[in-house]
Amino acid sequence: MGKILIVDDTAFMRTLLKNILFSGGHMILGEAENGEDAVSKYRELKPDLVTMDVVMPKVNGIEALKSIKALDPAAKVVMCTAVGQEQMVKLAIKSGARGYIVKPFQAAKVLEEIKAVLAT
Amino acid sequence: MPDENGYLKLFLVESRENHENLVKNLLILERSEDRETIDEIFRSAHTLKGMSASMGFSGLERLCHSMEDVFSSIREGSIRPCGEMVDDLLGCTDYIEEALARIEKDGEEGLEEPVEFIDRLVRWGRNENRRGEGSIGEVSDVPESQAVAGSAIPAAEKKIQLSGDRGEKFRIRIRIDGNGSAKYLRGMIILQNLEILGRIIACSPSREMVEDESFDGELDMVLESDSGAEAIRTAIGSLDISSCHISPFIDPEEPKSEPEMCEGPERKAKATEGRKDGKKREFSHLRVDIKRLDQMMNLIEDLVLKEGRIRQIAGKYQVTELDEAIGMIGRTISDLHELMMRIRMIPLDYIFNRFPRVVRDVAHHEGKDVELIITGGDVELDRSVMDGLNDPLLHLIRNAVNHGIESPDERVSAGKKPRGTVRLSAGRERDNVFIVVEDDGKGIDGERVKQKAIEKGIISEEEASELSREEIVNLLFRPGFSTAEQITDISGRGVGLDVVKKAIEALKGSIRVESQNGKGTKFMLILPPSMAIVEVLLVRINGHRCALPVHSVVEVANMKNCMVRKVGRGEVVMMRDEVIPLFSLNDMFGSDGRDDILFVLQNHDRRFCIRVGEVEGQQQVVVKPLNLIFGRNCGISGVTIPGDGEVVPVLDVNHMIQS
Repeated sequence: MGKILIVDDTAFMRTLLKNILFSGGHMILGEAENGEDAVSKYRELKPDLVTMDVVMPKVNGIEALKSIKALDPAAKVVMCTAVGQEQMVKLAIKSGARGYIVKPFQAAKVLEEIKAVLAT
Repeated sequence: MPDENGYLKLFLVESRENHENLVKNLLILERSEDRETIDEIFRSAHTLKGMSASMGFSGLERLCHSMEDVFSSIREGSIRPCGEMVDDLLGCTDYIEEALARIEKDGEEGLEEPVEFIDRLVRWGRNENRRGEGSIGEVSDVPESQAVAGSAIPAAEKKIQLSGDRGEKFRIRIRIDGNGSAKYLRGMIILQNLEILGRIIACSPSREMVEDESFDGELDMVLESDSGAEAIRTAIGSLDISSCHISPFIDPEEPKSEPEMCEGPERKAKATEGRKDGKKREFSHLRVDIKRLDQMMNLIEDLVLKEGRIRQIAGKYQVTELDEAIGMIGRTISDLHELMMRIRMIPLDYIFNRFPRVVRDVAHHEGKDVELIITGGDVELDRSVMDGLNDPLLHLIRNAVNHGIESPDERVSAGKKPRGTVRLSAGRERDNVFIVVEDDGKGIDGERVKQKAIEKGIISEEEASELSREEIVNLLFRPGFSTAEQITDISGRGVGLDVVKKAIEALKGSIRVESQNGKGTKFMLILPPSMAIVEVLLVRINGHRCALPVHSVVEVANMKNCMVRKVGRGEVVMMRDEVIPLFSLNDMFGSDGRDDILFVLQNHDRRFCIRVGEVEGQQQVVVKPLNLIFGRNCGISGVTIPGDGEVVPVLDVNHMIQS
């Protein structure tokens, strides 16, 4: 299973995702609270996959995604989005996001998406 | 979602942070509409919405969603914030606060759905068509004509085919049901993932059409890949997919050739690298239940008591090595204690952040224009002090707006600018933390205070004539005193400044007021360092043991060298041209007149002396407050057990000075 970096500005969402990912047998390599942190943690930890929140302070998820993709074009980034952010997700996919999950998270769906992205 | 309770605490903590952020930024938004504030406010609403949805609090979720819509319209410039809108939005934040309180108490929102708020917000947002986006949560309605169900690959699409391709070809037909997400997004993801496995040589509808929001969810394509059908199936996943057929695609024109490994090895290398770095994971912050910190604090206090015991035993045997070892333990314990105190500290902003809203509401209610200027919010205080500080400060601030600041007309006719100012500032002075609430309003009318105090029988007329202005103003703190003619809706409610004073004293602090007629009023709160472990001098007064906090001892002198004079009913000591009142503790300890050591004690800027018979030594002790069973104990802040098992009272210098 994969080694994952979780990026979200709230500990609540991070914990939630962490527990879902744990239950799916994944390993949490690290957590980041904002886009800036995400890029440096990506560089440092080299995770198999990143779950990336879109709306975050300082550097948002899309910008962080772009920076990570610039560092590593093969990076696997799954966007964490909410209802109403379709245009953002579209932009993210065009910038190289490999998947997206919609809040509120459903464990089965999250794991399915992560599995699909990790496998390719 | 499993294990919801495990998330509840975190949800509450972070929701409150976001709620506070909302309120703070709404107030800023009302005055200036800068991009950063709107972004931040949007983010808070968005985060709250996401968390509420995850916890299943649908009322909160919907409310936050509507708020987010309004902020989004503001951000896009289609509507502009106004006072009334901010009122509505603040009303929403009140709902959120209430809902959070209920959630904390009962585990559920328990309020009526905020339909009215949502309606109002929708009306605010409706100024223009807000966003051009569909909702992920809904299945989009797509004209049937666009469906390509099961059709063969159109010839035109085959043009995408490039030469030099290798690997097996697969015909892939997918139906995206989009239940829970938008079809076009899922389509984009699938195309992207398949491209990593190989090359899409034909696709219907075209890529551009897939990216269009009207994409109906039917995909038919040919993929060239060496990964095999299983890998392709995994890459497509099952999320949002209602059917997926993969079959070999036979194209007679293409000869078979060697598969190409463009991605595989590189990715594997990356995975191993990741494993090596796996050790580096770090969490720089922890959230800890305050109860655990309290437990830890108790253990540390216990450690101090036991250290005292060992010290006392070692004192009997006089072994140098043992004394050194105990000294080292002592230093470690005091480091530990200090660290623990620092962990428990939180910045005053924690409570200050609520006040701009209070000032705004009270000012609106009273038809006044008031600006609140906060400084020193970064000063840290122990959490337990913080808890007790909120209500008294709230009261003082409300008072300042309500009774201090005049109406704009009154201000103008008094030659002031129409907008009043309330300053809330905090700072550190030596070990103490001081907080000042200052307004530039009409000040306290000394004559009226005096009249009222006489009317209410708080002081007699003769006493009144002897009082200085400062003393008169401080009569406000006496129980049962309230100068407001009528109890207003917002402040007052029969609670006077005496309650504020009591609350501050319960925190071992003190409060003073200064006021100039027509110029304003200034309340000063001084809070002692909230150390449960205190350095004390153990002394005997008339043979009774008691402890004096070292920080309040300024000087120790021999009585024989001092002049004691009788002044009125009391005594004073003349020391280097300074007259210091001498307090007799006869009623506490009795006296045989033989105590001949003079202790000069100081609290803030006031001094007094007491007589002490014998000084036993200096020690770090834990001060335990007395249970209420003992009643209100004037002059004693608590008791301590210095090590030999005897219970010793600790004198409350602060209280002595005031009485």
